[in-house]
Amino acid sequence: MTVDTAWIDGRPATLEDALQAAAGLLDGSRLPFVGGLRTDVAGLRSALSLARRIGAVVDHRLSAAIYPFIVAARENGAFLAAPAEMRRRADRVVVMGDEAAEIGADVIRMLTDASPDLGIGTRGSERLFMTLGSKNAASPGSTASRHVDCASSEIVDVLGMVRAGMAGRRSGEGALGEETVATITSFLTDAGFCCIVFSPAEFGELGTEQIFGLVADLNETTRASTLPVLAAADAMGAALQATWTAGFPLRFAFGRGAGEHDAALNAGERQLSGAGEADLAILIDALDGAAPAEAKAAIPTIAITADPASAGAARIAFHVATAGRDYDGVLYEPRFGSFVAKAAQRNSELPSAAAILDALTEQLGERARDAA
Amino acid sequence: MLTRLSGGHVVDPASGRDGVADIYVEDGLVVDPPSNGRAADETIDCTGLVVMAGAIDIHSHIAGGHVNTARLLLPEWHRAFQARPGETALSKVGWTTEETGLLYAEMGFTTVVEPAMAPSSALHAHLELADTPIIDKATLVVLGNDDMLMSMIREGESESAIADYVAWTVSASRALGVKCINAGGSAAFKENVRKFDFDDAVPDYGVSSRQIVKTLQKAVTSLGIPHPLHVHCNNLGVPGASSDSIEATIRAAEGDPLHLAHIQFYGYGTEGKRRFSSRGQALADLVNATPEVTVDIGQVMFGQTVTISSDELRQFAGSKQASPKKSIIFDHEANGGGVVPMNYKEKSYFNALQWAIGLELFLLIEDPSRVFFTTDHPNGAPFTTYPDIFALLMDRSVRARWLEALPKSVVKMTALPEIEREYTLGEIATMTRASPARLLGTPDRGHLGAGAVADVAVYRPGEDKAKMFGKAAYVLKDGDVVVKDGAVVKRKFGRALTLRPEPDKAMKTRLDRYFDDRYGLSARWFEVPDGALGRDEPFKVVPCRA
Ligand SMILES: [Zn+2]
Repeated sequence: MTVDTAWIDGRPATLEDALQAAAGLLDGSRLPFVGGLRTDVAGLRSALSLARRIGAVVDHRLSAAIYPFIVAARENGAFLAAPAEMRRRADRVVVMGDEAAEIGADVIRMLTDASPDLGIGTRGSERLFMTLGSKNAASPGSTASRHVDCASSEIVDVLGMVRAGMAGRRSGEGALGEETVATITSFLTDAGFCCIVFSPAEFGELGTEQIFGLVADLNETTRASTLPVLAAADAMGAALQATWTAGFPLRFAFGRGAGEHDAALNAGERQLSGAGEADLAILIDALDGAAPAEAKAAIPTIAITADPASAGAARIAFHVATAGRDYDGVLYEPRFGSFVAKAAQRNSELPSAAAILDALTEQLGERARDAA
Repeated sequence: MLTRLSGGHVVDPASGRDGVADIYVEDGLVVDPPSNGRAADETIDCTGLVVMAGAIDIHSHIAGGHVNTARLLLPEWHRAFQARPGETALSKVGWTTEETGLLYAEMGFTTVVEPAMAPSSALHAHLELADTPIIDKATLVVLGNDDMLMSMIREGESESAIADYVAWTVSASRALGVKCINAGGSAAFKENVRKFDFDDAVPDYGVSSRQIVKTLQKAVTSLGIPHPLHVHCNNLGVPGASSDSIEATIRAAEGDPLHLAHIQFYGYGTEGKRRFSSRGQALADLVNATPEVTVDIGQVMFGQTVTISSDELRQFAGSKQASPKKSIIFDHEANGGGVVPMNYKEKSYFNALQWAIGLELFLLIEDPSRVFFTTDHPNGAPFTTYPDIFALLMDRSVRARWLEALPKSVVKMTALPEIEREYTLGEIATMTRASPARLLGTPDRGHLGAGAVADVAVYRPGEDKAKMFGKAAYVLKDGDVVVKDGAVVKRKFGRALTLRPEPDKAMKTRLDRYFDDRYGLSARWFEVPDGALGRDEPFKVVPCRA
């Protein structure tokens, strides 16, 4: 008895039949959407190549988690650090807002686990932490941490006051009072190397711009950088790969040939809700770890998934292996700030997402040849 | 299958050929003409055309984390590429991995070196290169601001231990050579140092830029790495200080090979009322008198571009001139770096003089086998401006036309109008084929002798050299016709050329512990496994010298 690996309208099917049926749906589609994109570098390469061939709109399921960062950085620039360098060098760390401690737990652990050991002004001192957030914000758990109570929604204004103060301008009354603002300011400016850890999604584009702006101001006289932490590391990996492949960090349409980027029109939520132009979706969900469930799509879907139980309503479904667990895969690793090769922890008979996507592309090629 | 390229004007300085001849190609290699009268299976008529080996670019930032950040930072650039093809330099840039491979191939370039791969970005860089079609590629791995090296120098560790560390880095990252970028300068900037000279010491290490460069030069030589240490000097772009830095670095070669990158950015003096002048002649004289050094130019061309560099200190300084006004500065392990958009304007005294200084250096350095053809893509200009630069080098009247358009104040400050030299086709082939292959230690290319890879570029000669070099009549890659009449007709993938020095076991164990303890990272993350790149044969290993 073999495990079912493909379904058509919920009924088990051979891989070949399912591929043919999927190709048939794609042939009949006016504008397909290729989304989900929870897969490894090989899967993304195949997905982007298929998307180019069929002129699809492309987005990652969790790109909303990274867009505030991407937009802020590309509108006004940024100072960005590697977590490992900050582990060795930052003598002062501000954990800003309520989300960073949770989303960036791995990264923050790299900072709490060790003391700075590089730099004349930083080496040998105990690393000082400041949390700036609401009462509930988790502390990094270091003895050398102090908490400044500030509602998440007030932080951006407070940073505006810090910046105004640093520039020698007075600013109006804020949420925290002058003395606390002065405390925050001197924590930042007295650092040998200051690092701000924050979640861009919590502060939005404009708030994120304010934080990058503050760090730019600090670098006029001292050294500082940031570690933006993102709820969806694989979305960042997908955005980077989409950028070298098509020129844009997701949310683009291949249309006729080269990619065209429009973050609003091509957002996955819009396309899947039926409010967009796409009339068929290929959704890829083949990574380890939980992700928030995809909202039920209002357009027909082809699911390529490591969890076929979640693909109930898909017209066609393929059961695939999990990258970096069932087979060797390359994944984005936020602690490294780059891609790493992950070795398989077990064997799997299942095909990879890349293999299914390539087979689908091949199938379309054959149909085109037959038609000619 | 035996292919004959018949009747072309073969320009192959490596073999001393410069005349009409047939070239035969079989199984991806150039072969001797069949002695038994065997007929070719396919003949490409090259009558009236110029036949050269495929060109080699030794320094072009085409892949990796910083390059990709530049794409992220400038989506408008990409949009321009699509919306108005052919209108501006900006709109012609190869921006994605796909466009990079295709546009290089269309100009007859078949091997390109990404010169600034951080060890921590090695896998990322190779993933992009694996997605870059047609051309072969290679990378230089960056050392010289890393704690490991500077600590080893400080502690007085042996030359062989340091060589073991360099060998591990080259091997793990799958590099073809070693680059050193503002040695110690990025590390100093992290300590809030804002200016860093060749004999300044990095705070906390007490190690000077000179010591770092000399140590790496020795390690590269002792490992038999064919490509000499590739140096990006201190004080890039600073009038006066830049030329002092490069002069000190060239003198420090001390008889051993050393390559100086994008020297145009160091040819700056402080004379004149704007305190910005050309030191092109003096720098060219020094290069002419120092036979152990090779240089590439980093020619500036006018228009929008973006600078991508692991010289974090100088990129931070340059971010004040960013245009458009935005930049990204990285504090990564070791070098870090920065991405700063730049718009070089023909009407700007400074930018126009930069353009002139680059050409002065090209034309005043006498030996075409020691000067290499680069724009430091995209730092001086996108590589898509190469055809125009060939025309400027080969034709005085083209230079005269360009000079006409510059501010009169610039023309007074450059020797360019008086320089009569015009590069010959043979000199172009030396500069872009024969000597890059020698410099990189890749004898399988850069020439059309039997046994060479069949990477061949065929051009339609004409008065307009930009037209000639912009669109090759034919390009063969590993014997396949990939370009016809300037357009790609076959898409395939080349390989990355890498060294593979055997790393020392004790050093490997030591580095496993070092990365884990100090950085909290697995040393495995710095390695590029063959299987990670998703190509059948991602690498071609080039031997080190015995
Ligand atoms: Zn460069």
